[in-house]
Amino acid sequence: MAFIGNFALYLAFALSVYSFAVGLVALVARGESAARLGETARRAGVAIFGAVALAAVALVVAAFRDDFTIAYIFHHSNRDLPSPYKFAVLWSGQEGSLLFWALLLSGYGFVLRLRYKTDPRLFAYASVVVAGVQVFFLALVNFAANPFGLLEGPLRPDGSGLNPLLQYPEMVIHPPMLYLGYVGFTVPFAFALGALIMKYPGEKWIHITRRWTMVTWGFLTCGIFLGAHWAYSVLGWGGYWGWDPVENASLMPWLVGTAFLHSVMMQEKRGMLKVWNVWLVFATFWLAILGTFLTRSGIISSVHAFAQSSIGSWFAYFLAITFAVFIFFFVKNKDHLRSEHKLEAIVSRESSFLFNNLLFLLLTLDVLWGTWFPKISELVQGNKVTVGAPFYNRVAIPVALLLLILTAVGPLLAWRKTSFESLKRNFAWPTLGAVAVMAFLMITPASWGSPFGLRPWQDISYFYSLMAIGLAVLVTLTVASEFYRGGRVISEKTGQGLFASMVQLTHRNTRRYGGYIVHFGVVVVIIGFAGAAFNQDKEMEMNYGDKMTIGPYTLVCRSYTDEEYPNYYTQWAVLDVYKNGKQIDTLTPERRFYKASQQTSTLPFVRSSLSEDLYLVYEGINQDNGHPILKAHLNPLVMWIWLGVWIILGGTALALVPNAQAAVRVPAPRLVEHAAPVATGD
Amino acid sequence: MNIAGLCALVITAAALLYIFYLPEEVYVGPKKTRAAYLRERKDVVYENLRDLNFEYKAGKVPDVDYQSLKSSLQDEAAMLLAEIARLEAAAMSKKTK
Repeated sequence: MAFIGNFALYLAFALSVYSFAVGLVALVARGESAARLGETARRAGVAIFGAVALAAVALVVAAFRDDFTIAYIFHHSNRDLPSPYKFAVLWSGQEGSLLFWALLLSGYGFVLRLRYKTDPRLFAYASVVVAGVQVFFLALVNFAANPFGLLEGPLRPDGSGLNPLLQYPEMVIHPPMLYLGYVGFTVPFAFALGALIMKYPGEKWIHITRRWTMVTWGFLTCGIFLGAHWAYSVLGWGGYWGWDPVENASLMPWLVGTAFLHSVMMQEKRGMLKVWNVWLVFATFWLAILGTFLTRSGIISSVHAFAQSSIGSWFAYFLAITFAVFIFFFVKNKDHLRSEHKLEAIVSRESSFLFNNLLFLLLTLDVLWGTWFPKISELVQGNKVTVGAPFYNRVAIPVALLLLILTAVGPLLAWRKTSFESLKRNFAWPTLGAVAVMAFLMITPASWGSPFGLRPWQDISYFYSLMAIGLAVLVTLTVASEFYRGGRVISEKTGQGLFASMVQLTHRNTRRYGGYIVHFGVVVVIIGFAGAAFNQDKEMEMNYGDKMTIGPYTLVCRSYTDEEYPNYYTQWAVLDVYKNGKQIDTLTPERRFYKASQQTSTLPFVRSSLSEDLYLVYEGINQDNGHPILKAHLNPLVMWIWLGVWIILGGTALALVPNAQAAVRVPAPRLVEHAAPVATGD
Repeated sequence: MNIAGLCALVITAAALLYIFYLPEEVYVGPKKTRAAYLRERKDVVYENLRDLNFEYKAGKVPDVDYQSLKSSLQDEAAMLLAEIARLEAAAMSKKTK
């Protein structure tokens, strides 16, 4: 397997070099021979996928065959490892995950190069940029982090095993989703740089880029939240987001990518923000690579980070080169990116997108600064200053609330300018609804459970929660009014029912109404976040029959024991859960010790409902008496986060569906006999 | 030579054949002209007009705003149409010469 794997990687590297170098020559040269040369470069790019896929298959087969002659398999697998995790070995370590990265990149490149007939010239430029990135990653897996390196010394009978934190079902899908997101941002970047280099006339490149960005954004969203769910279900600290540097690394490109998905509409609709959009696409790609650099260089400490290695310098050089190339072409061709229109009014759809972008960027800078600050402080002062959740939350929560306001307001504003009359017409009822809900939450008794009895003057977290829920209601009402008003127009015209009309409306403009569904999903997620203000926890050593009370629940320790399995030893407790004097469930929190890796892992038991999660952790045992120590968390509204993510993904998928044709009459424009030429375009 | 080596050889040969064997003419697509760009812009302005009409019918845009926005979009579309017509006429006369 090592031979096949190495051969495939060398072949892929050679193909990528050919695709990049010859593709570049073909873009500069002219005539039929240049076109044929360009075609061979395109085909070489297509063939890279086959070669990298062969290498990936070779590595997975080696894992299933327990081929411990390969160092990577020895370090990340063992004979008793369950099959799904043997498959996940491909992305469980540094070298394998880089190969996986190269595989996904070649997959994206494969699709891009097969679709070249959409616009052969533009796609040829994008293909060369993608090939340039492929050269880097394939050089990395061939010469710096080879997954097929052989183990030195005598052959071992068994491997060291997979990191226990990774032996969880979600870890089989979380990294692929995250990587599909990270890697996918290469494609929008390739189109943006290609269009900039060739001074592409028109906005077609941005249509293509937007679709790719949406797909990638969907994957990254899924990956980030799967990671959050994994942290919640495995790490055993009762939370889902710890502002860990590696979590931040995935959040930064997501934030900038989200900003781009909004501002791109201004370029499509109004020919504005062209410079801004090119920079956003570049920043998204660059931050994705920066995140990979953070994770793999060992420069920061994190539960997610790979071991310290020399590949950090490779990434540093790559980041510098991509930055230099982008800056060069930007400075050279920036005149091509002149806006066709100016901002006409401060109250308009355009300005709402602009503010939205500024807020996303502010949030990104906050996260970037917080992530790098420990390293910077170490370099400047000699001591590492730790940056925790309060630092991030100080900026992130107010900015998120302002973004929520824009989420409510933006879709109801008209392009160009919005009058006071229009504002009154569109916002009166949603605002009244939101204020009524906030007032209701404030006056209700706290004994009704969270989030009732919210007294914003008692604690700043209550204030934030109240604002979040109020604004969530505002967004929901504005989204609902968009569906209702649009549905009513179709209903009046066609005579069909309102619901059927709303479905038809969505089919007619999937992007807009899919986007509204995404907004609604964000609202549901924000309600889930707002629940964190009411979290409670309690820790207790429990013998048989001991009771612990938290919120409305009483936990009774029925028994505790330990067992041995082929892959691990386990200690666990059995607790009966009572609510209002009635037994409602039995929970079994667990702690495992994996034999091969000699590492411990906690498996909390989570009882989820729409109102709250009861989260139970087996912390360990008291060595003096052998009694288990258990920690219970009561986390309100957490399930809303996971539900919201499903809605976001559903909305994203809907937005990618092509529009159904609608026969709507357009008023004929008045003809102008001697009009001035329209700006832009060669 | 072992089986793995033979496989490597066959795969390399297949890749080279796929890359360099080009029996047909290479598709280069139409050249993008300014007129093509203007037609794209025209489609966008028409789409903006459609959106504006729909929002007006949905009651989102007051009458005064609607008239003013529609008028500016129509002016934009007219300028685009005029320039497209000019470019097409120039192209036609070039062909007939």
